[in-house]
Amino acid sequence: MNGKNFLKPFMESIIAVTIGVLVGAIVLAFSGYSPLEAYKALLDGALGSKYGIALTLSSATPIMLTGLTFAISARTGIFNIGAEGTVYFGAIAAIAFTAAFANPLMGLLGGILFGAAWSLPAAFLKVYRGVHEVISTIMLNWIAFFGALYIVLGPLANPNDPNKTISVPESARLGLILKETDLSWGFVIAVIAALLSYYLLWHTVLGYGMRASGYNERASKYGGINPKLAIIWSFVIGGIMSGLAGAVEVMGRPPSYAISQGMANIHGYGFDGIGVSLVGRNHPLGIILSGIFFGMLKAGATSMQIEAGVPLEMVKVVQGIIVVAVAVPGLWDLVKNLFGRGRQ
Amino acid sequence: MEEKPLIEMKGIVKVYPDGTRTLKGVDFSVKKGEIHGLLGENGAGKTTLMKILSGMLKPTDGRIYINGEEAAFKSPADALSKGIGIVHQHFTLVDVFDALHNIILGMEGHGLFSKIDVGRAKRKLQKVMDELNFQVPLDVPVENLPVGVQQRIEILKMLYRDVDVLILDEPTAVLTPIEVKELFRVLNTLKEQGKTIIFISHKLREVMEITDRVTVLRKGELIGSINTSDATPQILARMMVGREVVLRIQKPPKEAGEPILEVKDLWVVGDRGEKSVKGLTFEVRAGEIFGIAGVEGNGQTELIEALTGLRHVEKGKVLLNGKDITGKPPKELYDLGIAHIPEDRTNMGLILDMSVAENAILGLQWKEDFRGPLDSIRWVNVRKHSEELVREFEIVVPGIDAPLRSLSGGNQQKLIVAREVSKKPLLIIASQPTRGVDVASTEYIRNYLIKLRNENKAVLLVSADLDEVTQLSDRMAVMYEGEFVGVVKPEEVTEEQIGLMMGGIRI
Repeated sequence: MNGKNFLKPFMESIIAVTIGVLVGAIVLAFSGYSPLEAYKALLDGALGSKYGIALTLSSATPIMLTGLTFAISARTGIFNIGAEGTVYFGAIAAIAFTAAFANPLMGLLGGILFGAAWSLPAAFLKVYRGVHEVISTIMLNWIAFFGALYIVLGPLANPNDPNKTISVPESARLGLILKETDLSWGFVIAVIAALLSYYLLWHTVLGYGMRASGYNERASKYGGINPKLAIIWSFVIGGIMSGLAGAVEVMGRPPSYAISQGMANIHGYGFDGIGVSLVGRNHPLGIILSGIFFGMLKAGATSMQIEAGVPLEMVKVVQGIIVVAVAVPGLWDLVKNLFGRGRQ
Repeated sequence: MEEKPLIEMKGIVKVYPDGTRTLKGVDFSVKKGEIHGLLGENGAGKTTLMKILSGMLKPTDGRIYINGEEAAFKSPADALSKGIGIVHQHFTLVDVFDALHNIILGMEGHGLFSKIDVGRAKRKLQKVMDELNFQVPLDVPVENLPVGVQQRIEILKMLYRDVDVLILDEPTAVLTPIEVKELFRVLNTLKEQGKTIIFISHKLREVMEITDRVTVLRKGELIGSINTSDATPQILARMMVGREVVLRIQKPPKEAGEPILEVKDLWVVGDRGEKSVKGLTFEVRAGEIFGIAGVEGNGQTELIEALTGLRHVEKGKVLLNGKDITGKPPKELYDLGIAHIPEDRTNMGLILDMSVAENAILGLQWKEDFRGPLDSIRWVNVRKHSEELVREFEIVVPGIDAPLRSLSGGNQQKLIVAREVSKKPLLIIASQPTRGVDVASTEYIRNYLIKLRNENKAVLLVSADLDEVTQLSDRMAVMYEGEFVGVVKPEEVTEEQIGLMMGGIRI
């Protein structure tokens, strides 16, 4: 766990980010925009003002948490892409719990409970029926999407505003760190979650067992570890992170403090989290940094559009290139690991 | 006058992508029509050198001359076209094909729709087999054939391709003594036919018996070549390890005590549903080494897995110190005093991607020393423990935070032994404890097992290495098809008798 071990993956991620930015510049230039102006506008928007920095950090909050979901599973040898669906239920639980008890802790608890619960189907399918988690979590994401949509349009619908659900009551909202910005204490919660995840994986016996079974199931069994239990824990703890992501998003993101129609404001975080985790090399501390970087891209996109006239989608292109540049070696290792294990 | 060599390799260097220098400028030459031994410890670079000669690996530097002409092989097919073929230690047969189709695979029917002339292939093959008096059944799927026969198929595969130079990588590792004799007869016949054979081994006796000349490698360097008639096992051993190795094991006589492990009518089923262990009954007593010999694949693996909680017990009982432990999970067994040195060190005994320190507590992670409040790992104690193991067992490591992968095989194995012994067990189950381990570590590990026995521990030793079992055991059994063919004292039987038992013949 010494410094040297961190340096190599860190440099690899920096290189990938550089490649992404450079290729993005080429794409921008070919599309007739000035890359310099565009990037300047992006940086300006993301870091140029108190408001921009706050927007960067608040945009980083949910994707750091969903990144942790992916990372904790990946360390246990599981390719869990079910964060997306779990976020929906986390958000719904937070709204429902705070509607019942107007207290932020209850909202967070709701997110944690629902997140953990929604992770169980895929966990049990994996452990007891051998269903590959990629298949089950993709399907469960769709079940979650329409299930959540039903709840958003039905039980939680706002009688006064057809465009969103009922809002989290004011007394149950997460306070703002900086007044008149988007930055709530949710960001601190996400950072604490990352630190706790790090502690779990590298400083507890449970985390030791999870990583051991992720690397080598046979050896972990020999070491007295129950790999099935390790896998279930990784799903549950991962689910908690995504559930929190949904809860924190609705409880701490002004102005609506609700789920908007079609769930647009809580959509896509699960998948962004995979990118965050890969760029952060599936390491909780790396995820803090890469989460902030992705938050920067999100926050700067708007000003890039306004100031440089570059469509929002171009940011997604840059994001995509970065993820591919990082993910190719990382994904390859993961796939090799997963399928190498299956061959035993 | 010096005869011109058939094969000449000059200044061969091989650096793997991870920076390991396996060969550091090796010269190697073979004369036509000789059986040439390539001798060295594990990791000496024998296999790498031969993989280069057979076109499987490209050398980082160096040249190869065949009959004085420079050759550069891009693939095994290139080498084959020059008449060089290799039989790997791990066979490359298609399990569900019969011998004939394995042998002609890739040789017949090159066009997409061209017909395979099975009849012609069969005639050619039959001729080869008749000449050698070396028969294999051609129409049985090879997965149903014993390992010795599979090896013959590999050899025939090469002969069918008309190779002049046949490379055999550790060919005797999987054979019974009787099969080894038969193999040697065939090799001598091939020599008479004018074939050249390169025989890779680390077994001194075999090299002395079969080869004409020997080349010795040590740690990727050429130590020298010598005519076998000028060599003695002592000379070769010195060349191989760089010092006089006396693999002498000091074993004082000792009275065995109370039974520690009792196995009663144990039945275990293997991966494919076959009965692998068929009603075994035996005991291992305090202060005794009980050895199980036998060719691998006769149920030893399944037996050990059942005893260590890694495999389901179909029927029967296992007692430890009189307490029923049948079917208990590994964690409980460790708590009750069992330690296990598994046969598959890289896939079971260790986690190569974790650090030395993390591996040093595998199976010990719940012990009070290492687990603090709130399930935390006491890293300070873990590090202290790791450093102690490394120091006490003289394990060569770059550091205790280094990934385990960076250790040599012998040092990896020493770490397992160190860790298992640190459990302070009543019973140590050691499976192939010195396989793939260098001579020095082997000696260390064997002597350590005896030390444990002298300290009144019970030791159950399973090994395919006959010398190991006979040297270490106080009592030994020979396992064949899931049963014990006999339980004997090693000093009371001859090697030939053991060989017969390994072949399933009761004496």
